[in-house]
Amino acid sequence: MTRLFGTNGIRGVVNKDMNSTLALQIGQAWGTYLKKTILRPKCAIGTDARLSNHMLKSAVTAGLLSTGCDVIDIGLVPTPTLQYAVKEKRFDTGVIITASHNPPQFNGIKGTAHDGTELTKDVEEAIEKIYFSQQAVLSEWKDVGSYSTWDGAIELYINGILSHIDITSIKKQQFHVVLDCGNGAGSFVAPILLKKLGCIVTELNCEPDGTFPGRHSEPIPENLTMLMKVVSENGASFGVGLDGDADRAIFIDEHGSYIWGDKSLSLVGKYITKKKKGGVTVTPVTTSTCFEDVIRQNKGSVIYTKVGSPIVARAMKENNAVFGGEENGGLIFPEFQYCRDSAMSLAKILEILATEKRPLSELIMEIPSYEILKTKIACPNEKKEQIMNLLVEEMKTHNEISDIDRTDGLKLYMKNGWVLMRPSGTEPIFRVYVEAKEKRRVEQITIFYKNLVESIIQRL
Amino acid sequence: MNQPISKHIFRAYDIRGLYNKDISPDVFYKIGLAAGTYVKHSMHGTQISVGSDIRQSSQSLVHAFIAGVTATGVHIYHTGTTSFGQTLFTGVALHADLITFVTASHLPPEWNGLKFYYGDGVGFPEENLMAIRDLVLHDSFELVPWNHIGQVTSVDAKSGYKHFFTSQFKFKKKLTIALDCGGASMTLSAPEIFTALGFQVIPVYCDPDPTFSKRPSDPKPKNLTTLVQTVKKNNSDLGVAFDGDGDRAVIVDNIGQILTADQTGIILGKYGLKKKKGTIIVNVECSKSVKEQLEPLGYSVKQIPVGHTFLTLEAKQTHALLGIESSGHFIIPEYFLFDDALVIPLKIAQILDRVKKPLHDLVMESPSYPTKKEEIECADNIKFEVIQQLKQKLSKEYTQANTMDGVRVDFEEGWVLIRASNTSPIIRLTTEADTTTILQDLSSQFMKITQEIIQQIKTKLRKDVK
Repeated sequence: MTRLFGTNGIRGVVNKDMNSTLALQIGQAWGTYLKKTILRPKCAIGTDARLSNHMLKSAVTAGLLSTGCDVIDIGLVPTPTLQYAVKEKRFDTGVIITASHNPPQFNGIKGTAHDGTELTKDVEEAIEKIYFSQQAVLSEWKDVGSYSTWDGAIELYINGILSHIDITSIKKQQFHVVLDCGNGAGSFVAPILLKKLGCIVTELNCEPDGTFPGRHSEPIPENLTMLMKVVSENGASFGVGLDGDADRAIFIDEHGSYIWGDKSLSLVGKYITKKKKGGVTVTPVTTSTCFEDVIRQNKGSVIYTKVGSPIVARAMKENNAVFGGEENGGLIFPEFQYCRDSAMSLAKILEILATEKRPLSELIMEIPSYEILKTKIACPNEKKEQIMNLLVEEMKTHNEISDIDRTDGLKLYMKNGWVLMRPSGTEPIFRVYVEAKEKRRVEQITIFYKNLVESIIQRL
Repeated sequence: MNQPISKHIFRAYDIRGLYNKDISPDVFYKIGLAAGTYVKHSMHGTQISVGSDIRQSSQSLVHAFIAGVTATGVHIYHTGTTSFGQTLFTGVALHADLITFVTASHLPPEWNGLKFYYGDGVGFPEENLMAIRDLVLHDSFELVPWNHIGQVTSVDAKSGYKHFFTSQFKFKKKLTIALDCGGASMTLSAPEIFTALGFQVIPVYCDPDPTFSKRPSDPKPKNLTTLVQTVKKNNSDLGVAFDGDGDRAVIVDNIGQILTADQTGIILGKYGLKKKKGTIIVNVECSKSVKEQLEPLGYSVKQIPVGHTFLTLEAKQTHALLGIESSGHFIIPEYFLFDDALVIPLKIAQILDRVKKPLHDLVMESPSYPTKKEEIECADNIKFEVIQQLKQKLSKEYTQANTMDGVRVDFEEGWVLIRASNTSPIIRLTTEADTTTILQDLSSQFMKITQEIIQQIKTKLRKDVK
């Protein structure tokens, strides 16, 4: 079946493949799905700061109402704010209009279940099935849903975060934080949160603006150069950059150096397992070994999953994990909620700094370092499965491999490193990730496996 | 759901249809695309204001409409769920290029629709509405790229509107008013404003009831029995009933008599206007007593075709002081050009506050003539031809014949109006006269003429077929 939902909801270019007709019909399909089990579903809807947010929100709202769902519009909010509101206010579903870190011409529709976690694949497929078969069931005039607005979501969310951290210790330190919201939805939350925590805040791009005039939305190093500069020039405690819908946070140390997501994930994981004297943690197979190193040091364990934050969140819930997240700055705090949360990540880093009373760069230095190389190889979608099968066959004869992990793609552990080969779910490419202690070793492994995959593609 | 859109939902003054049958969110999405395209290209505008009445289906329709308008790059002021007056007042105050309101007015709750007004409150003419219809039917929309998508501003339509009335009206006496909102959109404004102005409000169906379960939303006399009883029981100074969206008001006097629009209009003209000079416009269905009572005072009474769009348009062009529609739409341009019904009971109350006489006494000052309304069956395909031939014939016979809307012939002792219904296979014959005898004579005389012409056309049609 053709798919609408990708790894992170339905995405597209506005008024081209992401338009009101689609959004209206998605709303109707979604509402029809909810009505199968719930008499009068209550749906929360919110948006990020993109220019097409109202248009798509109105279309989805019309669709949900017309199938007999009540809609509660919570306005412009970060994705985790909506997710928290859905969980706390017991809504039956949450809809967020966002294209996360994509360029401004994109927008999308993402959903959450009643507990605030992202929709499972089963639910997405059920909605898609109704959409493609045009089996939406519209309510009679008297059963059309009711629409209302509620502007308490941000306050509820900020208070929720504050109740989960040590405010007193943080306030005492009077941290100076440089905050770069990338003109995204985080602008509505992060500045308020930091001020409530007694921080001195230098704001960059904290005006919500759907054209993203300040920087590109994805918090990768080349988009955070200004943030790095401002942190080092102002002697700030650290810097933080958010993505468009503020579910991910990337940190900059007090010298202005970019901290990779693996490292901040590991730092927080270390702190939590240390405090809890162990515990289960969850992360995708793509995460650096440094995470497992620090978790094991603190008597914790790591469960590896397929790539995708909803999958990580589900595994955390099933295994009663104490912490989890991805290497892209998406951290999940189960005591608060089962989804990526930049504001909670920010609050947690502040708490760690307040407890440890040492600069961020020093804490990061203590996390083991690995060399990582990520490459991609062009590969037609229809050949991907065959390539994977041939790769698995081939590996049986390689004796340098100590372990094989088939969680997502093919991950091979060997002396001093690992390689992960996985076909992309969305693009016609094959990804090859390699990690080892030394740079030369990484290059060596990469060349070998890249050649191997290419030769297989050639052969087919 | 991709069934073709019926062109019949586009009527002379508005869009109307049965929810999920003729109109749906999909249809309103397209109407939004068309309205946005029209505002951009034909009006060189940038902003549409929209609100919706209290009907249960209005919310799904208004959101679909907004999705369509914004996709064309036109911005939205969204006034939310309001009475007709609240949305119109706010749209005018914000200088929107086009003001729209989701409603089916007085129709039953399973209906819905859309009304269009210009930014100054003047009704949208039929030909412009038909231009929007054609855009819908031909899928002729202009979508804009991501960086030009229209933005939505939610605006509070309630406080500015309330402030307007509380600053415009002051009352010395504490009048008692029985307020019948029929559970419809006026529940959102009228009770609060009358209370704020110091009235003793006796509520009748003043709790919001989106399915109109308490009384039908058409304020016809037979639907107003509770109001009449309430007025009598509480010795109210006056009573008022509104329709579903709040653009029509029916006044009940202190003894429980339901006033016709003509009677209300005469009182407004006699006691409610500052100047005794200027134009009062009435549609061709209005009673001759309006002219008889008001012209001697110094006004000139001008007849216009039926339809509240003409009422607003004419009021603007002629700088009229008052406009009266026989169906219960009124306009008093010293306040607004649009037909907000809230002004009417307030104005009547203001008169009572000043003249110190019971409303029934004011009603009795003017004579009320017997009237008769008859319906003649006539197929849709010939009804307009019948009217056309009647116009020719009667214009020759009677120099005073008025053919601006159907044909109306005025005599010393009465008048006759013959019009085709816009919606049903019917020709309507309305007569008013000084006495019932004359009424019967006029009615049967013109009934006969009409029937003859219908027969002639039918016979000719049959011959043509052969």
